[in-house]
Amino acid sequence: MVKYVIGATGALLGALAGAWLMLAPFALAYQSSGADWADPTFVDFWTGLPLLVVSVVGVILYVSGLVEELRRRGIMRRPYAEPAGQPQAHGEPSAADSGAENNMEQVLLPLVTAMLKDMQERDRGRDETHQETSNNVQQARSAGEEGSVRS
Amino acid sequence: MAPQARGGLIVSVVGFLAGIWLFLAPFLVEYQKVGQDWIDATKNDLWTGGALMAISALTLLLFAAFALRDAARAAEQKNTADVEES
Repeated sequence: MVKYVIGATGALLGALAGAWLMLAPFALAYQSSGADWADPTFVDFWTGLPLLVVSVVGVILYVSGLVEELRRRGIMRRPYAEPAGQPQAHGEPSAADSGAENNMEQVLLPLVTAMLKDMQERDRGRDETHQETSNNVQQARSAGEEGSVRS
Repeated sequence: MAPQARGGLIVSVVGFLAGIWLFLAPFLVEYQKVGQDWIDATKNDLWTGGALMAISALTLLLFAAFALRDAARAAEQKNTADVEES
């Protein structure tokens, strides 16, 4: 995100330099108004004008990149996410909200997985204990029956 | 890389080239004779060209540095998520 701010600042300074180059021949009076343009005036003006245009395009590109990044992170909402004439109902989740939900899911997924694993292990342990208990009871019964037969 | 970032980088490179052109223009167009005192137009072009080169180079350098930092962070987060999933 910072990279776009730096780029936009650089492009803005470039645009200011372009504007200064267009004005400099008259501001520094090495081109008198009304006279034919001298070589330095031609060079400065025709360098300044394209530089200004290109830098303004650069500012627009960097700012649109910044806006895109902010939308991707859910900080800004898309203005035209819903079709026109169908205003979003109050409380209905928007695109940014669904993005936040996905993030929340990703954060919660490992926690839920660990809980499930823990529960499964606990169930397995309980089953084993139950089986052991029933085996002991059966062994005791069979031992009692053997004793009654002998007597 | 996002298309906006690519376009912005091209603009910064164009700004750097414009700075080089401004720096050399007085001598290439020959409105500044070598060995004579610099006229106002030459001083203006040299200062503006130098500033433009510095600004563009700094923009490119910082943009690349922060883009690399973002890429490293994204890769680190992906690795952490993969380890947690497995």
